[in-house]
Amino acid sequence: MSLVSEAARILLNGLQTGAIYVLLAIGLSIILGTLKFVNFAHGALYLIGLYAGLLISQETTFSGGQLAEFGFGTIGLDWGFLAALLIVPALVFVLGIAMERFVARPFYDRPDTDQILLTFGLAIVAQQVVRVLFSGSSQNFAQPSWAAGPLQLPLIGGFPQWRLWVIGITAVLVLIVYALIEFTDFGLTVRAGTQDTEMVQLLGIDISRPYVVVFGIGAALAGVAGVVGGPLNVVNPTVGTDILVPAFITVVIGGLGSIRGAVLGGLILGITESFLIQWSLVIPSLGIDYGFAPWSQVGIYAIAAVILLVRPQGLLGSEVDVS
Amino acid sequence: MSLLELEGVDAYYGESHILRAVSLSVEEGEICALLGRNGAGKTTTLRSIAGAKPPAVRDGRITFDGTEVTGRAAEDVSMGGISLVPEERRIFADLTVAENLHLADVARNRSNTFGRSIRIGRDGMTTEEVFEFFPRLEERDSQKAGTLSGGEQQMLAIGRALKQTTELMMLDEPYEGLAPQIIEAVEHAIERISDAGTTLLLVEQNAVAAINIADRCYVIDQGEIVFEGSAEELREDDETRERYLGV
Ligand SMILES: Nc1ncnc2c1ncn2[C@@H]1O[C@H](COP(=O)(O)OP(=O)(O)OP(=O)(O)O)[C@@H](O)[C@H]1O
Ligand SMILES: [Mg+2]
Repeated sequence: MSLVSEAARILLNGLQTGAIYVLLAIGLSIILGTLKFVNFAHGALYLIGLYAGLLISQETTFSGGQLAEFGFGTIGLDWGFLAALLIVPALVFVLGIAMERFVARPFYDRPDTDQILLTFGLAIVAQQVVRVLFSGSSQNFAQPSWAAGPLQLPLIGGFPQWRLWVIGITAVLVLIVYALIEFTDFGLTVRAGTQDTEMVQLLGIDISRPYVVVFGIGAALAGVAGVVGGPLNVVNPTVGTDILVPAFITVVIGGLGSIRGAVLGGLILGITESFLIQWSLVIPSLGIDYGFAPWSQVGIYAIAAVILLVRPQGLLGSEVDVS
Repeated sequence: MSLLELEGVDAYYGESHILRAVSLSVEEGEICALLGRNGAGKTTTLRSIAGAKPPAVRDGRITFDGTEVTGRAAEDVSMGGISLVPEERRIFADLTVAENLHLADVARNRSNTFGRSIRIGRDGMTTEEVFEFFPRLEERDSQKAGTLSGGEQQMLAIGRALKQTTELMMLDEPYEGLAPQIIEAVEHAIERISDAGTTLLLVEQNAVAAINIADRCYVIDQGEIVFEGSAEELREDDETRERYLGV
């Protein structure tokens, strides 16, 4: 394989990995930026989106768990992937709104540590409930039949079609959310609220309504990440908490409250990860053939550390202290 | 009946008791000044009226245009006709001048904010009218508000308040940090707003500047009203001025 085609492949894989981080980070970031709410349960929304997607799109046989014990080992609506892709965001949007109302809102005035304890606890509860119901073993989430298999691309050759779809779906969703925030009155209120919530209220705006919507949108994007990422990643109860760390790193390196920052941060992380996974140092004359895949997680922390040393507010974060 | 009336208002930040039985009234059409030293409780008084929290008003009544507004949400008080030009201006630095002004419209497009209890005040200015009032803002229309000079930011903060349905405009130290000739311009703007019929409650540490344009004055010290009278009376009351205002 030529160097160029390998680079292109690394880039595409990086975009796809990054796309999942972007979907998660946008919600985290705007919720943190506007509501100053630290939501460690954001990964749980991904987890719920993932399992809801699995159950809607196909029939799955779970080898263990309470449901199997009660004789419901094989369950699922089998409505197909597209149905999951449409239903899950709506479902998780509603879940997000409920979460804002009953979990987040009573804790807005509490210290960050309280919010973290609360939401992290909630994330663990969600994870354990999924484990109890469906067992801890990994499941197979089938790719949509209409996007299975490779697509022949110039330069690269065969490339998994679904990965391209993930990039495309993410791009469309990001553009929609970006337009909503940049070009509508709703977005104007949210952007103003990010800077000074009380002043927005003093102008006569009941900001709790746009904020509920922000929470719902953030949640829905996390749910979408679960569905589109499902066929590409591991499906088990711990994925929600596992993905939380890279999602937070994405927010932090991109800059709090910035959508463009979340996109940039996600792409940097995704490409770094994909580079380290696929790249190996080969020097035949010395007999060296070393793959960097084991270093991929270390790599994303390292790059985050470097970026934060140079720009503590994140790449596109504003200089002002948001707290 | 006064437009705004505070009767025995006690306000707290957490457990610290800041305002002690503050009573004051603002008559329709006048410029009323609330003066006092650093930390006297001036901002706390305005925040209590505006419905900003904290402080918490635990005792007393605040009545606006005959309707009790004590403890109401800030957005409701704003929609009812009280606007605030806050301390340090608090314009939205990352938004453009036009967006800053447009936010007041966003609120007013809303239909069901207030219940029926307080009438919606006179319609606020349109953006065009604000630009006529402060031509400087029109030139800076699409500029980020954070890049404006201090004086222009103050104009924006006042312009934003003018767009609200304002019966009563409260200004918290509008001259703070401004150069003398800018102070004059802001003072002139305040007089024009007053001439147009809006009632003003002006908070200042700079007593001389405030006495100049005010009809009536209150002096607050350690959360208590210690003087009430016309600007003329305060000008002649050397003891009060020296003791509480240091001038
Ligand atoms: N958020 C707060 N929490 C606790 N105490 C506060 C808070 N804000 C103000 N205070 C205290 O309340 C008292 C009155 O403050 P306030 O801001 O009303 O004074 P002020 O008259 O506006 O002063 P300045 O001229 O400096 O603006 C002060 O002693 C101040 O320390
Ligand atoms: Mg003050």
